[in-house]
Amino acid sequence: MLRAIYDWVDERLDITPIWRDVADHEVPEHVNPAHHFSAFIYCFGGLTFFVVVIQILSGMFLALYYVPDIVNAHPSVSYLQNELAMGAIVRGMHHWGASVAIVMLFLHTLRVFFTGSYKHPREFNWIVGMLIFLVMIGLGFTGYLLPWDNKAYFATKVGVEIAASVPFVGKYIATFLQGGDIVGAVTLERFFALHVFFLPALLFMLLAVHFILIRRQGISGPL
Amino acid sequence: MAHNPEGNRKQVHYVGDSRVRADRPKLYPPDYSEFPGKTEAFIPDFLLKEWMVAAVFLVGFMTLVMSELPPLGEKADPTNTSFLPVPDWYFLFLYQLLKYKWASGPYVVIGTVILPGIAGAALLLAPWLDRSKERRPHKRPVATGLMIVTIIAICALTWAAEAEHEKQLESAPGRKPKEAKVIAADERGYQLYKQSACIKCHGDQLQGVNGPHLIGVGNKPGMSAEKIIEIMNNGRGMMPAGMFQGSKEDQKVLAEWLMKQKQK
Amino acid sequence: MSKKVSRRKFLTYMLGGTAGFLGAGLLFPMVRFAVDPVMKKGGGVGFVDVGMRVSEITDRPKAVQFKVHRKDGWYQPEEGELLTAWVMKDEKGQVVALSPVCKHLGCTVNWDSNPQFKNQFFCPCHFGRYYKDGTNVPGTPPSKPLDKYQIKIENDRLLIGPVNKA
Repeated sequence: MLRAIYDWVDERLDITPIWRDVADHEVPEHVNPAHHFSAFIYCFGGLTFFVVVIQILSGMFLALYYVPDIVNAHPSVSYLQNELAMGAIVRGMHHWGASVAIVMLFLHTLRVFFTGSYKHPREFNWIVGMLIFLVMIGLGFTGYLLPWDNKAYFATKVGVEIAASVPFVGKYIATFLQGGDIVGAVTLERFFALHVFFLPALLFMLLAVHFILIRRQGISGPL
Repeated sequence: MAHNPEGNRKQVHYVGDSRVRADRPKLYPPDYSEFPGKTEAFIPDFLLKEWMVAAVFLVGFMTLVMSELPPLGEKADPTNTSFLPVPDWYFLFLYQLLKYKWASGPYVVIGTVILPGIAGAALLLAPWLDRSKERRPHKRPVATGLMIVTIIAICALTWAAEAEHEKQLESAPGRKPKEAKVIAADERGYQLYKQSACIKCHGDQLQGVNGPHLIGVGNKPGMSAEKIIEIMNNGRGMMPAGMFQGSKEDQKVLAEWLMKQKQK
Repeated sequence: MSKKVSRRKFLTYMLGGTAGFLGAGLLFPMVRFAVDPVMKKGGGVGFVDVGMRVSEITDRPKAVQFKVHRKDGWYQPEEGELLTAWVMKDEKGQVVALSPVCKHLGCTVNWDSNPQFKNQFFCPCHFGRYYKDGTNVPGTPPSKPLDKYQIKIENDRLLIGPVNKA
């Protein structure tokens, strides 16, 4: 049955070369934790992606109930966490996942740095990775405001103040982030839009480039 | 999974074939192929191992999620002046940096632009700054050293920020419980309290003014009359030492009276 | 050869099993979270005193407005949610409260509003009609009679509850 469906699609789209490239490419021994336990450091990148998948899924589900609006944001978060089955778990996955994602990303970056894997010919992928790091930090910063509790509000105020202290362009950055003169209704809406549309879109593009480059260039050799 | 190891692909007829062929020679031969060792196919051999690692990771992650509720504070209140702002932990180091004299006030640019800019640019341009062919960390001491110093600095700054925040929290005027009442207000302890300097920061109704409220201080875990005397003598957080000027006996009476302040 | 194939199969099954574990572990809480409104019993709306004496009710349908407090997720307006019922006495003198929601496509029906159809409920959207007892007039769009509210009478006062689910 599966075979027949595959053949039907393959006859039209010729997916076998892509599939075989993905499935059959050889993975070297030095990154395989089954051969050398210390090779688990090569798993950090994959685990970061796994956490990103957790974030995307839990974020999609949270959006079923969340409202980005200063009147309703806090009640809706409190409702989804306290009154719905598994609400605390799903929000917990997104909340703790954010921190875990940063930790894994940090570890992955350090692994790449200390094994010198950013060197020729992989310079470009290092740049892409750094951009992914920036986007993830941005996701963390914008997501922190969304529950609209005191912690979120005051942390964002501080963050915007820091941005405002940049010479020349600072006050424009601050106004852009706030969408006005204060951290308020417009700020919450923009942070929401950035958090769920703009930054994830950017993240997906960067991740695609990151993975395609890994596939093209292979994993860096053993030390 | 529909997998075709035999490679008996059916002939497909396209008009004007511009697709990339599967048997086209690869542009980048993976450099590890020069090294002897056991390589494995990605699917299913290697992916299975990777997903097993992911399964272990997921169990650990879900344990964390189920043991700690995600915090949700009170609804944002811009008029709340007593709230201590704290950014998410991964911004703490930057936050702490801005507290130092050389990176604040007129020099704030150092903390917000110059230092993060230098670090960010160096990280971004690492492949061009560290151009040697050597990959082992100990063979390129400058890069490794700089990175280790940076990590230590970030950890230290984060730790300092966390410690300072904890300290501030202890002596910050917190939010008092809804039903606040001075218990045993007719006792001598309350007289002593009102006569001493305590009242200036903790308020005439123990409600907290510049310092934290003392309502329910008696049922704080680990609190005792001795502990209160120790805090009075040595201070805590922002609270200076030696705030109680009266006699030892009076201090004891006051501490015991404070221990009576229990809230359900 | 056959050994090789079976090893490959085994690995593939293991891979499927691990994928199943990962997927189930991730998705179970999320799906349970998403379908929670389905699993929850409807938080019934209680009976509401509509401020009308039973003795005031005639055999002519009268539109009665009343407010119910329904918890809609995190949203619960202070003033409640305004509902309407057509209240009358039937031939046997029993009080009836009909829902004004047309069974065709959910527009609001009105009593005696169309001069062509005297003493009928009329729906302006697609000209659905109902007799006084709520039965749909055959040949008009609605296929079911109007819903009836549950009612209670206490001390000569009319209390209206949730709609009777047929």
